[in-house]
Amino acid sequence: MWIKKLTTPASDPRAASLVLRLTVIILLLRPMGPWWIGPFLLAVAVLALVFPRVLFAPGTWFGLAFLTVVRIIEDWPLADNHIYLLAYWCLAIGLALGSRNAISVLGRSSRLLIGLAFLFAVIWKVVLSPDYLDGRFFRATYLTETRFENITLFVGGLTPDQLAESREYLRPLPEGSVRAEVPRLHDTPSFTALVYFSTWATVLLEALCGFFFLFPFRNRSSIVPHVLLLLFCVTTYAVATVPGFGWLLLTMGLASVDAENRRLRTAYLLAWLLVLAYFVMVWTGYFIDRVDHQLLGT
Amino acid sequence: MTGEPDLSTPAVSAWRVWLPAVLMTAVAVIQIVLATTADISAWKGGGFGMFATIDGPSTRRVRVLVEGHGRSGELGIARSQQILEKRVRLFPSDVFLRSLAKAVSERETRVGRPVKAVTIEVWRADYNEKLEGTDRPLRTFTLNVDQKAYDAR
Repeated sequence: MWIKKLTTPASDPRAASLVLRLTVIILLLRPMGPWWIGPFLLAVAVLALVFPRVLFAPGTWFGLAFLTVVRIIEDWPLADNHIYLLAYWCLAIGLALGSRNAISVLGRSSRLLIGLAFLFAVIWKVVLSPDYLDGRFFRATYLTETRFENITLFVGGLTPDQLAESREYLRPLPEGSVRAEVPRLHDTPSFTALVYFSTWATVLLEALCGFFFLFPFRNRSSIVPHVLLLLFCVTTYAVATVPGFGWLLLTMGLASVDAENRRLRTAYLLAWLLVLAYFVMVWTGYFIDRVDHQLLGT
Repeated sequence: MTGEPDLSTPAVSAWRVWLPAVLMTAVAVIQIVLATTADISAWKGGGFGMFATIDGPSTRRVRVLVEGHGRSGELGIARSQQILEKRVRLFPSDVFLRSLAKAVSERETRVGRPVKAVTIEVWRADYNEKLEGTDRPLRTFTLNVDQKAYDAR
């Protein structure tokens, strides 16, 4: 009986087919774990993608959740937060497929998980972090992280020399020591605007997403959480290079949309593909190249 | 009648909805407790504190200091110890600090340079309102290698 429960869905889950397929594609696009876990995760993901029977078996998802948890424990605490979310999501899918109302359970689980992820992100930024709301976090991040370098140069308007000197300024000194020559921390009006916009837009959007996914409305405004989540994903993951997180949030968002709402489902799928495009194409680098060409007159 | 429970009842389905959320909440709360009491980085541990604070993987560093007969000094992080070093940097718990210190001691012994003591220091950069950074020690751990075993080498 247990084998049947693990291999056969308890209700018709075909409406969730797209959500399940996108989840296994996430596993295939971002392979993870050591050599003794990674191949198993990939193999299960491929089999699920190829064989619907594997895709819709609750046991497949319990297995993927288990392997993801093992991967988290194996090098704890190094895994990124979206790997934890992936484990909860795989567990949620397994539990949903084992229920007689799979689509409804999956939709409710996804809303809860999205809402909680944003809630904790906001708690960290507003309550626990000493350096987020005053803009220090984004100022330091834009100046020091190479993955944001293009944005700092292109949107912030700093020159490469100014960026290099600011990085030197930000290099911490041993306690009690003083620099003989103090480098300058450069700033421009557009860089300050970028810092404060990033700080407040991020936390506001996260707070709104958290609220609307945890407390969904049942009337026409039920589209609001989806619009917010789509806006968050298409803007955040254009800059932050964590596509796995973006794909996961969008896949879970898609799971919370009614099967009849084709427009919203299409919007989620397009946003998913857009995050995929961000992943393979460094669009900020393209703009920097354009600026360079204009400056050089080429 | 099959005798099996009707799994579609709301009560039975509710736990299927809530179980992942409860697990997620439990892990996140544990991470917040560890961050406020045991210096785990906000960025790691399942609490969703990434992109919330400067105190992340790139603003912490680990120093490995060894003391042996006729020598003392700082060592670089060996390739085989990079994962351990990362763990220590992001969560300087006694367990991880001891593991790294033991790994350093064992490696030094293998290459014919046994040590008497290994000290692991974890440093963190703090930034004030003007973004002036100061390096300050977060945790220091010393492993004294068993002297008898050391002499036997």
